[in-house]
Amino acid sequence: MAVTAPGQLNVNESPSWGSRSVDCFEKLEQIGEGTYGQVYMARELKTGEIVALKKIRMDNEREGFPITAIREIKILKKLHHENVIKLKEIVTSPGPEKDEQGKPDGNKYKGGIYMVFEYMDHDLTGLADRPGMRFSVPQIKCYMRQLLTGLHYCHVNQVLHRDIKGSNLLIDNEGNLKLADFGLARSFSNDHNANLTNRVITLWYRPPELLLGSTKYGPAVDMWSVGCIFAELLHGKPIFPGKDEPEQLNKIFELCGAPDEVNWPGVSKIPWYNNFKPTRPMKRRLREVFRHFDRHALELLEKMLTLDPSQRISAKDALDAEYFWTDPLPCDPKSLPKYESSHEFQTKKKRQQQRQHEETAKRQKLQHPQHARLPPIQQSGQAHAQMRPVPNQPIHGSQQPVAAGPSHHFGKPRGPPGPGRYPGGNPPSGYNHSSRGGGQGGYGNTQYAQGRGAAPYGSGNMSGAGPRGGAGGGGGYGVGAPNYPQNGPYPGSSGTGRGSNVMGGNRNQQYGWQQQ
Amino acid sequence: MAANFWTSSHFKQLLDQEEVDVVQALDKDRGITLEDFKLIKMHMANYILKLAQLVKVRQRVVATAITYMRRVYTRKSMTEYDPRLVTPTCLYLASKAEESTVQARLLVFYIKKIQSDEKYKYEIKHILEMEMKILEALDYYLVVFHPYRALSQLLQDAGLNDINMTQLTWGLVNDTYKMDLILVHPPYLIALACIYIASVLREKDTTAWFEELHVDMNVVKNISIEILDFYENHRMITEERIISALGKLPMKS
Repeated sequence: MAVTAPGQLNVNESPSWGSRSVDCFEKLEQIGEGTYGQVYMARELKTGEIVALKKIRMDNEREGFPITAIREIKILKKLHHENVIKLKEIVTSPGPEKDEQGKPDGNKYKGGIYMVFEYMDHDLTGLADRPGMRFSVPQIKCYMRQLLTGLHYCHVNQVLHRDIKGSNLLIDNEGNLKLADFGLARSFSNDHNANLTNRVITLWYRPPELLLGSTKYGPAVDMWSVGCIFAELLHGKPIFPGKDEPEQLNKIFELCGAPDEVNWPGVSKIPWYNNFKPTRPMKRRLREVFRHFDRHALELLEKMLTLDPSQRISAKDALDAEYFWTDPLPCDPKSLPKYESSHEFQTKKKRQQQRQHEETAKRQKLQHPQHARLPPIQQSGQAHAQMRPVPNQPIHGSQQPVAAGPSHHFGKPRGPPGPGRYPGGNPPSGYNHSSRGGGQGGYGNTQYAQGRGAAPYGSGNMSGAGPRGGAGGGGGYGVGAPNYPQNGPYPGSSGTGRGSNVMGGNRNQQYGWQQQ
Repeated sequence: MAANFWTSSHFKQLLDQEEVDVVQALDKDRGITLEDFKLIKMHMANYILKLAQLVKVRQRVVATAITYMRRVYTRKSMTEYDPRLVTPTCLYLASKAEESTVQARLLVFYIKKIQSDEKYKYEIKHILEMEMKILEALDYYLVVFHPYRALSQLLQDAGLNDINMTQLTWGLVNDTYKMDLILVHPPYLIALACIYIASVLREKDTTAWFEELHVDMNVVKNISIEILDFYENHRMITEERIISALGKLPMKS
């Protein structure tokens, strides 16, 4: 056992208990910033290993160590799975730290606490949002299977994640997907008797039972989010981008039909059912809207986006779905293409410049076709050819994965194309747990728009913009990734492949099902 | 809680009795004996219970808080970590970890209300500062398994889940937190020992049921004897004896 004088920390030794000092790590760069605290990419001095350091902000002086951090630590300390982010250790910093203005850091009792995570290169949303990125069917199956495997493990261990969304699914360059950000997670008991808060899960991924005010719920809430992500991967964009709770429910009802005692026994007893009960009959249109999806994919999606949580498919049963056992089979994670991530933390000044650039870009918007994600080619026969990002489409051929810049959505200076995609500008923000503020990324929020650099450890809460860089405007990403060939990354102009056609042009018409 | 105790940090952290019964060097220097050490921990467990009843938290929070406190003193001295501060702080931390958060100011309010002794009077800032130290001392392992869940399952399995047996065994389990059993034995064995004692007391024949369990009855019986010994000795503990043990702690810094 290492012995140190009181107030001192072991720097070189690994004590059998207690924590090492953050001085064991060399901070390389800040890769995220947000309400939770800063996130750094760092190197462990002794081993040279690259890690992510997530600082726990201690500014609530009245209630000490944040309960969100307690939850996350408690849960991550007991979960050990290849599809769950690994909390390697917790380190502390010996002295009081100063912020940029030289004021002492919020907590006067201790320097700071950092959670040390394994380093991950991307997050799913960031990866999907890369210009020209098109996931292949085996790739989607591979990610979905890993997501479900990790989630099944959580549920078996009686942990609800409660914030499943693309930016919390981290992906490394080996193709491994891991669940991250357990700041909203908690343990549950199988009897569902405990009252839990319904103010969880980022709005777009929040299930109807929570929106209707249910406080007794279980693993099915996470499965709804998985369904949303699954549909998003196949569809090319979020399927329920509501700007507030009523709109969110309405979007769900428009696609999944309105709940009643027939399709969801007991629904009328849920607290806010009468407030949100649709005034007109609404039919389930999921099969019709997504009729172009592969048959097995649609079948699985139907079971995930089931209104009644008790009838919704479990992670375990989803893993047994035909979808994962029919050609094309999920690919080996290692066979997936590697995309270089860059992490360039940029100062507020640069962010300011960024905004100006975006303004300029916005004015030039008409010259740029709008960007949207490419849904996968639905014909399974083609799928194997799609292992690399759109290799057979000449328009994307100019894009080198390495040149593509960040694949973490939060860092993207480019916005989604115009207001059509993210009505309301700032969708998931503010709908989360009060202590967390806006939309969260893998390891916390960031408020920094970064030129090219991005990391999976935060989510883009660019001021006034949605977590995906909302308000940036269509031309935004030409600025962020200046090396881009101007005609390259815009799939709207390509017209190749079935997906691209669907995504181009006026989205208000394309996704008419939401407006009808 | 977690589905599997056997893969938990709690299981991996189980200690031998000899490891638990170590009086830290700094405490020894102050004349604190092993007996004093045990008495102070028992007294502090009672203190946690008293505070918990005032701030109204579940038994589970009490059990977790006491476990934290006992774990802290397998690693830290009472001289450096004043039990009169560590104890309420453990309750504060356990209330967060068990999702029944108690505000620090509420805790401080009740401490002042029930403790006339100056040595117990700590402010919010002291609790928050100690919280960090305790987290570190616990190496951030916050999940604790308790015998309660196993107890109700086992009682049901044995067909002994009537009100009488449930209350008796539940009370016995509560009392085990006055000892260090939770640091040494897996919770289900503690539960079994309590069922064993209760069935002897109430003259229920559980021999066949215990045989079918395939547990090491020697361990169950040893735990039972430990519990009975504790009850036996407990009657002899006088208020003066506790005051004398607490008197060896340093003055509030």
